[in-house]
Amino acid sequence: MQSALPPIAVALSNVSKWYGKFQVLTDINLTVKRGEKIVICGPSGSGKSTMIRCINRLEGHQRGKIVVGDTELTNDLKKVDEVRRDVGMVFQHFNLFPHLTILQNCTLAPIWVRKMSRRDAEEVAMDYLQRVKIPEQAHKYPGQLSGGQQQRVAIARSLCMNPKIMLFDEPTSALDPEMVKEVLDTMVSLASDGMTMLCVTHEMGFAREVADRVIFMDAGQIVETNAPEAFFSTPQHPRSKLFLSQIL
Amino acid sequence: MSLFDIMASILVGINVTMKVTLYGMLYAVPFAFVFGVAQHFTNGIPRLIVTSIIEFWRSSPVIILIYGFYFSLPGLGINLSAMTVGAMVLGLNIGGYGSQAVRAALQALDPGQVEAGYALGFRRLRILYLIELPQALAAMTPTFINQFIQLVKGTSLVSLVTLADMTFLAKALSQIHYAPAKIYTALLIVYFLMCYPATIVGRMIERRVSRGREVSHDL
Repeated sequence: MQSALPPIAVALSNVSKWYGKFQVLTDINLTVKRGEKIVICGPSGSGKSTMIRCINRLEGHQRGKIVVGDTELTNDLKKVDEVRRDVGMVFQHFNLFPHLTILQNCTLAPIWVRKMSRRDAEEVAMDYLQRVKIPEQAHKYPGQLSGGQQQRVAIARSLCMNPKIMLFDEPTSALDPEMVKEVLDTMVSLASDGMTMLCVTHEMGFAREVADRVIFMDAGQIVETNAPEAFFSTPQHPRSKLFLSQIL
Repeated sequence: MSLFDIMASILVGINVTMKVTLYGMLYAVPFAFVFGVAQHFTNGIPRLIVTSIIEFWRSSPVIILIYGFYFSLPGLGINLSAMTVGAMVLGLNIGGYGSQAVRAALQALDPGQVEAGYALGFRRLRILYLIELPQALAAMTPTFINQFIQLVKGTSLVSLVTLADMTFLAKALSQIHYAPAKIYTALLIVYFLMCYPATIVGRMIERRVSRGREVSHDL
């Protein structure tokens, strides 16, 4: 199955983006190979979330080119749909649908977007809820779960769409400390299954264990790309050094 | 005439009152949803147009609109029945208020809900009716119940354009029997008896829609 997919999962070339006059992304170049795990870090406001949000077109870019799989992202809604069907996203604040049960959260998109039957969708959803270790919560509402459980549901909800690429936008930043591990464990297990992942996170342990590359961004630019071990022990760029000295 | 007799005489007009209320709802509910959603979705000039239409119905005195439509439009060759004018003006006035409940409820939702919908591959309209509206409905319900009660009470204005509703009958009775205090007290009681159950039903609905659906606040 892997061989049928293009070897490059995501390619950004010279991508720039502005909010009004303010430039948030400047000439971003990034190629992510199929199965690769990328951790993106950097100070707040550096454009890391904006960059991954461009990959599933939650944000549009104004200059440059973004290709996901075989599809170049343009204003063409069909292309956007194609890309979003293959790209899952996990948000900082989970964004579960509070009016639906956990199971319904997981089956909504498979039923309406993938046109699966309810029964098939529920079967797939229960499989993934099992994988994130909360099948017993399937009939509860999101508000009845802890933050860590909610984020694991959010991961399961994304996986139910059978994505080829997963984007994580600070998935553990809104969690109480004791719940970070259960979410990271889920992500590690996902990584070991060969999922292509782009994670905005400052979890150093996760980066060390999982990432093929760490990307450091500052002021809308990719400042340093390095292997995780090298990045944390001997960062090259002065701004990476400064950043690491502040968070470690 | 006892209070009970008066109430019985007034209740003869209840079918007109209920008809105006019902037809009014047929104008109010679609108007509230269509224009509330349109205001939520649009920007710039389209939004200005949507807002102007809402404000026209919301900010004009109902009595003047009823007179205007009933007595002036025939001058332009447009003849609408008293029932049509009453239901339309009252309905769109209430619908104007309702549209603001719809818009406010949609805008109060976390924008992350729409983003999660997009990320899962939904198009905008699907997100509206699968994700946004079901959540917003809970927030609008109390306002809608209030609007409904406003509408029931507002129907008394159709008595001014010849419709024999409860208020019209009370007015006629008081002219015949010359006992306005007693008669209008009876009328008040009848309106109260009609509106109070709506309040109770509203509370029940509110409790039902909010049960087990606490928003995920514990971030």
